Amino acid sequence: MNNTFDFRETWLHKINPSLKLLTMIFLFILVIFIHNLNQMILFTIMTMILFVFFTGHPYKRILLFSIPFLFIFISTTTSMIFFGKGDTTILRWGLVHVTEESLFRGIHLGFRALTYALLGLTFALTTRPVYLFYSMMQQLKLNPKYSYSFMAGIRLMPIMIEEFQHIRSAQKVRGVRTGAGMNGLFHLFKFTSIPLLSQCIRRAFRIAVAMEAKRFDYSKERTFYYKIGFSKVDVVFVGYFVVLTGLSFYLAQEFPFFPVTDVRD
Amino acid sequence: MTNIAMVEQLRLKFPGDDSLLFKDLSITIKKGEKVLLLGPSGCGKSTLLQTLSGLIPKSIEVPIKYRNIQYPESWGYVFQDPDSQFCMPYVDEELAFVLENLNVPRSEMPDRIEELLSAVGLRLDLYHSSIQSLSGGMKQRLALASVLALNPECLFLDEPTALIDEEGTKQIWESVKSVAKDKTVIIVEHKIDHILDFIDRVIVFSYDGVIIADDDVNTVFSFYRKQLQEYGIWYPGVWDDYLLSFESNAGHGYNHSLILENFKGYRKKEINVQLDKASALSGEWIAVVGDNGAGKSTLLLSLMQLLKTSGTYVLNGEIIQNIKQLQKEAYFVFQNPEYQFVTNSVYEEISYSLTVKKEEPSIIKERVDELLAIFGLSKKQNHHPYHLSIGQKRRLSVATAFVENPKLLLLDEPTFGQDSKNTFHLLELLERERQKGCIIIMVTHDSEIVKRFATRIWEIDNGKVVKDWKNEHVLHGKDQVAYEQYI
Repeated sequence: MNNTFDFRETWLHKINPSLKLLTMIFLFILVIFIHNLNQMILFTIMTMILFVFFTGHPYKRILLFSIPFLFIFISTTTSMIFFGKGDTTILRWGLVHVTEESLFRGIHLGFRALTYALLGLTFALTTRPVYLFYSMMQQLKLNPKYSYSFMAGIRLMPIMIEEFQHIRSAQKVRGVRTGAGMNGLFHLFKFTSIPLLSQCIRRAFRIAVAMEAKRFDYSKERTFYYKIGFSKVDVVFVGYFVVLTGLSFYLAQEFPFFPVTDVRD
Repeated sequence: MTNIAMVEQLRLKFPGDDSLLFKDLSITIKKGEKVLLLGPSGCGKSTLLQTLSGLIPKSIEVPIKYRNIQYPESWGYVFQDPDSQFCMPYVDEELAFVLENLNVPRSEMPDRIEELLSAVGLRLDLYHSSIQSLSGGMKQRLALASVLALNPECLFLDEPTALIDEEGTKQIWESVKSVAKDKTVIIVEHKIDHILDFIDRVIVFSYDGVIIADDDVNTVFSFYRKQLQEYGIWYPGVWDDYLLSFESNAGHGYNHSLILENFKGYRKKEINVQLDKASALSGEWIAVVGDNGAGKSTLLLSLMQLLKTSGTYVLNGEIIQNIKQLQKEAYFVFQNPEYQFVTNSVYEEISYSLTVKKEEPSIIKERVDELLAIFGLSKKQNHHPYHLSIGQKRRLSVATAFVENPKLLLLDEPTFGQDSKNTFHLLELLERERQKGCIIIMVTHDSEIVKRFATRIWEIDNGKVVKDWKNEHVLHGKDQVAYEQYI
């Protein structure tokens, strides 16, 4: 999540994080029940608009983050297209058997995977973890014990990355050669995980003690430095999805670009 | 004066240890006292601090027994490690975390935060600054500020400067002195130069956690000098009491040479450190000095070929271009010794590089036994490296460096956070290696080490070696290494 790099703050950043999280979870579930290919594509376009234009991150970064998801899209789509079942054969070549049904099902599945990625990434790119946990404590009554543990954990991550680099260098000096391939990866894991973990466990314990020394007591009443409430953008955000989901339903019914209403048939 | 904290007949034992850490220890602290606890590492000073504050057994579960105990009504605790006492990513959020715990209304928080930061002299352009970007000294002052938010009448300071350089140490104590005038302060610390005028009571512990002295500063430092020396405490004048006990002589027929010209080290494709021209010969001990972030560590990493470099780098006539060429020639000792441990016992750790090269078992054993003896680790040879004390870990990491008689030894603050006894021991070992012909290049903040051990000094400023001079105060005056001719 965005602790380290710069971005422009947009209206997506100002949405109540808990509301954003719940909406995302709802949309995740909703997507499972979309079986109409046309509707799926429209829905994906709708989330893509948010992702590309409103996360406030430079386009270069957005493109960079899109690469793995494009890969997921292509891999899920092709595997479903090439090896799926169906009656209307379009192409048969050795093991590969492309049918009309598998073609549509593949494209549909690809778009579904893409939507998940887009929703998740949009959320991650526009939500500061600290605000999310503050909001969850205030709106969802999350126990402060968990929120502050998570926030402390997030703080540890850059420290861990730095430590990992030190350990790698230190072991190069000792003449530890990990080699290439799976074997090398295993050795790398073996040699770095123990010092890294031992350091982390010690750090975590010390932070916990330090937090209690600062009178952290999760059972007590507490005030909040960040008061996170609701605003107009929350309405805009929910409205966006309500209106556009409705619109995608309507357009898919009235102006389909593929003659498929249910990819399961 | 009324008592603020006390414990009577304290008994405490860590699970797994053979003996009690404290046996019937009693101690009373009066209101407003500034108390310094001294003693060898491992004698239980920090544990006592944690017991007096109630962290033991409330937060750290250790079985204890006592007849009577009194905790201060309000207290604050500053810990040793600047990287593991904050739970929030930004300065203002960390202070707000404490204020939230105290149920301070949100509207009062910004003013309180400003007040606390200015009390400890932490001037930031923006209160919403990332803690990660602060220096160690600044982090410790932030820790002090967050503790002050508790409005404590008693402050516990557990070696707050052990991992901080000299400049940061000075700043931390300045802050403490300005905020703690009318508070009770209990300090555990090895480096005590900056606080002697602030302390009015010193308590000295022996190895087995028994109080051997409890008096004012002057009395303790006049009558217990010998014990303080033995316990490795950095009392004023420790360097003068410490005499080099060995003969100094350079040149043993070895003649290693290091030539650098237009040498540059890169981080992320940018020049991070550069050195125009320098050369070094056997028997030189070069101290690399300069401000925080000037590029001292980067220079060492570049010399070890752990970063991308350019320019001429010749070691013993061989042009060095990658780390593999340095395998038998040079060695780098990192600040945290744990990073370099790769095996499960002290013995294997030292024998590792020889075993990898498939040396004769008898040769390996001979060499390892020799090093274990020199480094005082023979008794610990079957221990796991992680189970050693801080001083022993450091010695082990240097021992692994000596296995192959490196011609160039690079050390990044090897005496950092060590008590005086371990520091002296380590310096003697390095000095012995120098006399054997090794070229030592060491980053250090400690001006005493520079003054007394280094034969030559490189000063780095803003990523560039700007000065290169011979150390005039050097004790072993017999060496006349003619490196000047190269400059």
